[in-house]
Amino acid sequence: MVRDFQSVIGTEAREQMLAAEGRLPDTLVACIGGGSNAIGLFHAFLDEPSVKMIGVEAAGRGVHTGEHCASLTAGRPGVLHGNRTYLLQDTDGQIVNGHSIAAGLDYPGVGPEHSWLRDSGRVAYVSVTDEEAMAAFELCARSEGIIPALEPAHALAHVARLAPTLPRDHLLLMNLCGRGDKDVFTAARHFGITL
Amino acid sequence: MSAFGEQRIARRFASLRQQGRSGLVTFITAGDPDLGTSMDILRRLPGAGADLIELGMPFSDPMADGPAIQASSQRALRAGQTLRRTLGMVAAFRQADGETPIVLMGYYNPIYAYGATAFAADAKKAGVDGLIVVDLPPEEADELFLPATAVGLDLIFLAAPTTDEVRLPRVLASARSFLYYVSITGVTGTRAAAAEEVEAAVALIRQHTTLPIAVGFGIRTPEQAATVAATADAAVVGSALIGEIARSLGSDGGPHPKLVDRVAELVSALARGVRSAPVRGPAE
Repeated sequence: MVRDFQSVIGTEAREQMLAAEGRLPDTLVACIGGGSNAIGLFHAFLDEPSVKMIGVEAAGRGVHTGEHCASLTAGRPGVLHGNRTYLLQDTDGQIVNGHSIAAGLDYPGVGPEHSWLRDSGRVAYVSVTDEEAMAAFELCARSEGIIPALEPAHALAHVARLAPTLPRDHLLLMNLCGRGDKDVFTAARHFGITL
Repeated sequence: MSAFGEQRIARRFASLRQQGRSGLVTFITAGDPDLGTSMDILRRLPGAGADLIELGMPFSDPMADGPAIQASSQRALRAGQTLRRTLGMVAAFRQADGETPIVLMGYYNPIYAYGATAFAADAKKAGVDGLIVVDLPPEEADELFLPATAVGLDLIFLAAPTTDEVRLPRVLASARSFLYYVSITGVTGTRAAAAEEVEAAVALIRQHTTLPIAVGFGIRTPEQAATVAATADAAVVGSALIGEIARSLGSDGGPHPKLVDRVAELVSALARGVRSAPVRGPAE
């Protein structure tokens, strides 16, 4: 149901990309907390084998620290809130509190369709730390004049990693799924600025 | 293993019918506030008047539970409670009591992590009689239902005020031992349902099944228990007992020396309430 509502994102992105470039994008990038914006973007392209897709999870203070929300990268299958999916949990099946600087990514599970797309290999899932996301936040604000939300700042950080390795005509579509006005206080705290 | 190994739940409800009264089901969270105290409470329950025991398997994210049981789950987990320890409590209880039915109640993920088949086998071996897995609807229950049924463990399902006449038969098709009627639309330990609502709901369910019906969620006092006992086959009380445990903890979280006595006294008062309900003829 979430997927169907969110799929407007992908349907419109597809139409607009075809109108602007005359072809489908080569790679899609979106951040993943529960995974709604990402599944909304990916859904319209799942049956296009030429389109690569990358979901970016929150690695928080680092996946190795245990303080993260990267359930697809570092979780195990379990059952929570009515779905079987990758979860942050201990060996007894107790749910573990995640951490991310982006509140919207701070969820111990992920929409189950992402678990399926992970296991089938259709979508690649990577992770980005708080530090990397905040660097991308600053880069975007300074170079584009756009304040991204901290959630898509994770996707931006991966784009910043990926783009230099791609040919110039590669069409990379990233979902900037929220604006960062809501995050200025968190960002100021992170950068040591008093507002 | 006791000589009374089988069918404890069915025999207990049959015995209650013979006595012409409704039963008291008590819920406590296993390992709350710590393993030793929880074990002491568990052992006292039958003598205090509990006819059937629900033992909560603590879970980090108990979405059907209100603040009291959430806090008790957190206390138990902090004290190191695991599913294995919970089964150990049942096995220890069974050494002295082969007759009082024990139903484990909780959520699916810890069971899934344990392994559904291994859990069903170990639970049966420990002396568990039934399982209530709150977030496992009948349609999704097969991976636990089949191994549980194979070893003779009953899965007990829930019906609620929102369970309509289309859904009810589907729930009942999988139900064993008794049906647990959640009397309110909400979490445990909040408001109580009106007596006439419970009466109407129980009457409706009885049109569809001869299984005993236990009513829970929101029953706190002996008076409320008596009201429910007048219509249902059993009244379930949980949050009120958990509340008594919480009130009997010191500022360091340690149990008051009278904690177990206080819980037992409350169970006795609730049992008197249940037994004060009008005597009913044995069911046909």
